[in-house]
Amino acid sequence: MQKKICMLGGFAVGKTSLVRRFVQSIFSETYLTTVGVKIDKKSVVFPDKTVDLILWDLAGEDDIGSFRVSYVRGASGLVLVVDGTRAATLAVALTLRERVEAEFGAMPFVLLFNKSDLADRWAISDNEINELKQIGWQIYLTSAFSGEHVDDAFRQLASMVAK
Amino acid sequence: MTSTVDPISLPQRAASNDTEIDREALASLLVEIARSVDPDYRARLDGVPTADPRMETLRQLLVGREISELSRVTHLLDEPEQLAAAVGDVLPSAAARASHAQLGEALAPAVERAVQRSIQKSPRTLTDILYPVFLPAIRKSIGEKIDQTFQSLNETLRHIFTWHGLKWRFEAWRTGASFSEVVLKHSLVYRVEHVFLINRNSGLLIAHVTADNATSEDPQLISSMLSAIQDFVKDSFNEKEQSGLDTIRFGELRLWSEVGPFATLVAVIRGNPPEELHEIVRDVLLRIHDECSQALEQFDGDSSQLAGVETQLQTCVELKQEESNQGFPWLVVAAVLLVLIPAGGWFFLSWQSGQRWQAYVSRLGTQPGIIVAEQKMRDGQFYIAGLRDPLAADPQSLLSGTQVDPARVHSHWQFYQSLEPEFVLKRLTASLAPPDSVRLSIVNDRIVAEGEAPDTWIDRARAAARQLSAGGPVFDISKVRDVSPETRAAEHWQAYVSRLETQPGIIVAEQKMRDGQFYIAGLRDPLAADPQALLSGTGVDPARVHSQWQFYQSLDPKFVLKRLMASLTPPKSVRLSIVEDRIVAEGEAPDTWIDRARAAARQLSAGGPEFDISKVRDVSPEARAAEHWQAYVSRLETQPGIIVAQQRARGGHFYISGLRDPQATDPQALLSGTGVDPARVHSQWRFYQSLDPKFVLKRLMASLTPPKSVRLSIVEDRIVAEGEAPDTWIDRARAAARQLSAGGPVFDISKVRDVSPEARAAEHWQTYVSRLEAQPGIIVAQQRARGGHFYISGLRDPQAADPQALLSGTGVDPARVHSQWQFYQSLDPKFVVKRLMASLAPPDSVRFSIMKDRIVVVGEAPAAWIDRARVAAQQLAADGLSLEISELRELTPQELTRLREAIQAVDIFFDSGKAVPGPEQLPVLDKLANQLKGLAKDARKAGVTAQFMLTGHSDAVGRETTNASISAARAETVRALLKKRGVAPESLLVRGAGTFEPAETENSRAGSSANRRVSVTVNFH
Repeated sequence: MQKKICMLGGFAVGKTSLVRRFVQSIFSETYLTTVGVKIDKKSVVFPDKTVDLILWDLAGEDDIGSFRVSYVRGASGLVLVVDGTRAATLAVALTLRERVEAEFGAMPFVLLFNKSDLADRWAISDNEINELKQIGWQIYLTSAFSGEHVDDAFRQLASMVAK
Repeated sequence: MTSTVDPISLPQRAASNDTEIDREALASLLVEIARSVDPDYRARLDGVPTADPRMETLRQLLVGREISELSRVTHLLDEPEQLAAAVGDVLPSAAARASHAQLGEALAPAVERAVQRSIQKSPRTLTDILYPVFLPAIRKSIGEKIDQTFQSLNETLRHIFTWHGLKWRFEAWRTGASFSEVVLKHSLVYRVEHVFLINRNSGLLIAHVTADNATSEDPQLISSMLSAIQDFVKDSFNEKEQSGLDTIRFGELRLWSEVGPFATLVAVIRGNPPEELHEIVRDVLLRIHDECSQALEQFDGDSSQLAGVETQLQTCVELKQEESNQGFPWLVVAAVLLVLIPAGGWFFLSWQSGQRWQAYVSRLGTQPGIIVAEQKMRDGQFYIAGLRDPLAADPQSLLSGTQVDPARVHSHWQFYQSLEPEFVLKRLTASLAPPDSVRLSIVNDRIVAEGEAPDTWIDRARAAARQLSAGGPVFDISKVRDVSPETRAAEHWQAYVSRLETQPGIIVAEQKMRDGQFYIAGLRDPLAADPQALLSGTGVDPARVHSQWQFYQSLDPKFVLKRLMASLTPPKSVRLSIVEDRIVAEGEAPDTWIDRARAAARQLSAGGPEFDISKVRDVSPEARAAEHWQAYVSRLETQPGIIVAQQRARGGHFYISGLRDPQATDPQALLSGTGVDPARVHSQWRFYQSLDPKFVLKRLMASLTPPKSVRLSIVEDRIVAEGEAPDTWIDRARAAARQLSAGGPVFDISKVRDVSPEARAAEHWQTYVSRLEAQPGIIVAQQRARGGHFYISGLRDPQAADPQALLSGTGVDPARVHSQWQFYQSLDPKFVVKRLMASLAPPDSVRFSIMKDRIVVVGEAPAAWIDRARVAAQQLAADGLSLEISELRELTPQELTRLREAIQAVDIFFDSGKAVPGPEQLPVLDKLANQLKGLAKDARKAGVTAQFMLTGHSDAVGRETTNASISAARAETVRALLKKRGVAPESLLVRGAGTFEPAETENSRAGSSANRRVSVTVNFH
């Protein structure tokens, strides 16, 4: 079973780095700057099935206006990526999600607070994260550097979209 | 009344919903009914009616409202208009809620009829509605058709004149297909390698089929990327069309995509596919949509529902056109068999006659002088070709008795000379015709001649022997004796004598031979051939000839004619000839010649042949004029600068054309004194520049206007200039010489002496002086040039440019310049600023600027400096200059300065080769961070911003580039560490100084640990 998943997040939040180490890829990263999208695959194996997540890594933009919503068409889920050392990127990720939801309706997503290895520069308060967890969001503190929780996040999302 | 339900309360509860029931009337009615139910009470009543009116009242009370409602509804159903209005209100939402399938089925016939009706009524409306839907499809279809046409036209043109072009034409004729179809079939070689079926919505792969041996990367990723690219193109170019990318082409590979409502089919094709393939691919896509429309629409990444699709796709992948030969040629085989069977019968017969033929051929082969080169049998005919000696037996006659039909023999013989001795002997006998005294025979393959023969025959025989020697048999003539010398001499003599006798002007009187000596006597005309000379080539030995000749004048007309020719020398226009022993002169001649000819005729008249000059016309006037003309023309031709191209005389007029140099003599003027009538001369002259040195000289004189001191002359075709001239003239002369060099005479100016150096030097000096005068801060008081030396004096500001330095590049020899400069202070604001900079030594934070005549100082400076500037301003004011210092701000309170100095004294040290400080430096860093933060805070309070420059340094060990980068890395590290300690990163600047700013000079090889550091400088803004 395959599912289209879009990776969303502001500029330089580490989407591409997350993807680089944990997925299967045949396209170079120049696609991101040329076509604005790069496609990778992450296979998640469950006891009863295998879900192929086809990850659309969209070129991150701080300017949300230039975000190409059309790339999200047909997606079954989202990976929202936030740079834990820059509080502003949380707002960007949330706005992106709202735009997608407005266009294509609600869909399952996981929210990744990336760069968890840079604890000394951490800019998001635990309160904020806890509040989001309270509403039932799937939240992971990830690090593309150490690989912490990245697989968990993809596995969680796979189980959500494959239902 | 002990009921569980309080009867009174029921209506009350209901009343909250409905107030129309009259509860009081109902209660009294019920009480009354209850009473009448009581038998006692009932017994007391008389004549109770059967139909109790109270029941009716009760009914009215209980269901009166429902009755009226019912009647309203009934009324509604009965009235069509009202019913329509009511249904109309609910129809849209009813349709929305109805089961789609049932509703669709129910509506379909009606809708179909409606559409049909609408088209019948006004097709226009529906066309307008469908226009945006059909237009792109029609457009695309037409586009493809045109592509198809072009492709077939292209291919047809390419192959129209080739060999397989002809072959295909035949195939087209044979199969009844059009030529272009056949061409396409052969030339479009392609293979569909992959087919992807991609969900249009999500870009997810539904199915993928690959041809044998074709490989690709992960098809899932490819299909997503393909749809991403489609989106990309659509977004990037704002393309609204629904169709998507048609074709992507990359070298040999093409990606063709067909877009359906739910899925896109992408075919990856290698090679050159025909356009019809589009239709095939589209058909497959349509079929897939037909069969699995629902599964496609609901596709959510699980393609197990769509397993059957792959077989459809497989049909696409099997499409290919390969270069291959046609199948086994059954038709040809059948045709061959048909021919072979009768041929078998015929073959036997021809074999038999072939045997006979072979017998004949071998017989020919044994014949001397016949060589069979080629022979063959075909269709019962015999062909033979070869060589035969003309002397050999006739091959035709040899046929008789061989049973071969002569009519079927076609022979082609070329004659050749056989070198077999018998044939050679035959030929020699025929060609040499040996005298009877000679006998030829064959001895051991050699041909031997014996006997006696004259040397001429021997010579011929010897020549024949030489010819034979190449390849032929030996021809031996050594046994033939030469019998001829005497006879031959006599023969030669006789030949000579008869030759003499035929000579005109020679009369042989007597001749004889005796003892090998020859005697001859006779008369000869002096003009006749010399008998002695006639001897040569006759073979007669002149030493043995004794001749006696007496001269006489032959009156034979031929000799007379010769004599006349010699004495009269007639002009070319006169022809002398002999006509019936008379000598006739014809033509035209001047009168003088005619007079001489007449005198000769008179002399001849006694005894000689007649000399008739009556036919010579006197032509002298014209001839004279022509002579004059010729004289004139040759005069012109000798003129320098005149080239006569063409000239002729006709009808008493003269025409001449050619080229003349403007400097040459006028041809018209040359006419005078030539005797040519100018009125009859028609001349056409074109001017040209003669390269004759004389003319070149004239032109040079005109163009160069040499000064009097220069003399130009011609020496051996060269133009030589001598004397003295300024260099400008020499330059011009040199340019002229260069121009001449192509084809013209040499212009030698080497002997002109340049008289200008002094003049030039003076010019350079003037340039230098005016340059000085333009310099600010320099005042030239006096200057002069004398005797090749230059003197200059004046004033100069110490800040002004150095006059000596300005000399460079002016061409003035510094050694000849004698200058005397006195220093003065220029009041030019520029110089004033320079001086102030030197005397006041302003801090970096201060900037001087010149605004018109005022000098403005802005920035920040310590109070002491500002005081000094104020003093300077007062001094300048005395000189009439204004120095404005009002915009200067006093800098840095004491406290900040102290903090700064404390910070600047701190260094962070590093181990050799390390960019990270050791742990012992951490306390220093902590302290430094606190200091920086403190200073930044204090500075903010004082209204300034503090900025910290972190400068990394390295020791001098190792390579310079490494040192530079490690120094920068150290500064970066310290910046990061300070940032971590809470220093505002924007206040931290870094730079690497490498080894260039050492704290101490290094001597040791280990490198100075004091130099491996990061220093801090503080700036305020």
